[in-house]
Amino acid sequence: MSGMGASPARTRNTGPRLFLQAMAARAYVRIMGSLREPTWIVSDAVFPNLGMCAFVLLYRALDAPRSYEALALVGGVLTTYWINVVWGMGAQLYWEKQSGQLQLYFAAPCSRMAILSGMAVGGLAATMLRSLVGVALAVWVFRIEVAPFSPWALAGVFVLTMVALYAMGMMLASLFLLYGREAWHTANALQEPVYFLSGLYFPIRSLGALGVVAAGVLPLTLGTDAIRQVLLGPAARGLLPLPLEALALAGFGVVFLWLASLSLAHLETLAKREGRLTQRWQ
Amino acid sequence: MAMTLGALRASIVRARTAAWLGWQVEANWADPVLFAIYVLARPLATALILALMFRAVSGHGADAGVFVGFYVANAFHAYVNTVLVGMGWVVFEEREEYETLKYVYASPVGMFTYLAGRSLVKFALATVSVLVTLAVGWWLLGVRWDWAAVQWLPLAASLTAGLASTLFFGFLLAGWSLVLARAAMVALEGTALASYLLCGVIFPVDLLPRPLQAVSLSLPFTWWYEALRRFLAGQGGDSAARGSGLMHGFTDSQVLLGLGAMTIVFALLARWGYFAFERRARALGRLDQTTLF
Repeated sequence: MSGMGASPARTRNTGPRLFLQAMAARAYVRIMGSLREPTWIVSDAVFPNLGMCAFVLLYRALDAPRSYEALALVGGVLTTYWINVVWGMGAQLYWEKQSGQLQLYFAAPCSRMAILSGMAVGGLAATMLRSLVGVALAVWVFRIEVAPFSPWALAGVFVLTMVALYAMGMMLASLFLLYGREAWHTANALQEPVYFLSGLYFPIRSLGALGVVAAGVLPLTLGTDAIRQVLLGPAARGLLPLPLEALALAGFGVVFLWLASLSLAHLETLAKREGRLTQRWQ
Repeated sequence: MAMTLGALRASIVRARTAAWLGWQVEANWADPVLFAIYVLARPLATALILALMFRAVSGHGADAGVFVGFYVANAFHAYVNTVLVGMGWVVFEEREEYETLKYVYASPVGMFTYLAGRSLVKFALATVSVLVTLAVGWWLLGVRWDWAAVQWLPLAASLTAGLASTLFFGFLLAGWSLVLARAAMVALEGTALASYLLCGVIFPVDLLPRPLQAVSLSLPFTWWYEALRRFLAGQGGDSAARGSGLMHGFTDSQVLLGLGAMTIVFALLARWGYFAFERRARALGRLDQTTLF
């Protein structure tokens, strides 16, 4: 009798375990969700490359050396990630609010940072697959030539860039919580101006002092420059020495993660107090 | 005759009301400063990207005259991005976001007139964007052309035809958006980006693969941008050094004729296509179908 009503012993999910489980769950939803909407696969994989092709063909029309085409192609591939950071991270909580799911996140027992981290990991995994379209265009259509490079250096710089970018996205997500309809337009306005400030289609050095300022604020600027330096060598016309850029990218990652947790905690309180968590179209 | 004039007058009044409503919708979401930044930030940033790209390679013998033509065409592409694609967005927003599309249909305004009215505001916004981009190019970036060489009459004709094409194509896209539900967002974004590539806004179309060249030549905007380059900037998209591009084989008159012909074709196609799409949307029950939120 005594055994019939007894429930099996359970391990309570708390602390780091709960954090990792929530993160994995959110990443799973992000990856599977992105695969179930065919039109989004097209828009994420193909659209960023259309602009990239136009810019590469401009260099060709201007009879520029081939290294400039390679430079623009590297930048073009990275736009896929920036678009995902802005729309898939920055604006995501705004989308969740619109679809009425945001309150569920706040009612869940896990950390909001775990949910955002899961979104970042899932978004990055899905975007890596889609950015392969751009890489394929660069290799087989435009036939870019790269200098001999270390795959480890490329992987290292890429990981540092992505951590910094997605940490920035996590911070933007919490900031967007307070925005209403402006979130959509702000995300829109964060595209071409950031492409310009990050020198995605030209050597960042061409921006002069503005390039240095942009490199101090936007991880995309430094990440683009660092990846180009690894792939293209001196033809990348780099802004700073590669080790220095890697160090700065690591610093960006740490700072943005800290800012994201700080702003999320603050803005969550503020949004709850002002009653905006469930307001649509305001 | 009196009835026709009366109907025309009523249409104008309805279009004016729709334009006023369009302004309220476009402008009420943000303070004027943020609104201005948003309207100008994207086109100006693209213009600056082009200018920096040119500056980066100017030491390698890049043709400045050709670049001016590309810059001018890029500035005018704001009409395609804002008006043409914007008309599709009107349908998407009215149906998905505000859920008011069915009320527009139920009102005596009529969707066609309503879309025309809403497009007026978008024309105004695009015009501001074009003028600011050209002004920034002229005064800040040194993108200049010889005013004495401007061919005013062909330029005026090409402007009229180009803007008409934009409006007609906009109706077609709006009709397509009526049929598409959730996918309309992707289709609109894709059209904006594909047109930038297919119409050879910033490069001569002979750099495209051959099958895409045929598509490019069947679009009125390809002819429009070439006409703008020739009649305003004084030089077509093919550099003097290359001298053998696809457009190089056409005289100025042929470019103007091509633009006129494509505009007429698209006007007819748009009128037929819009109403065909609308009938299809009604049959499928798409006029009030919301899918996103």
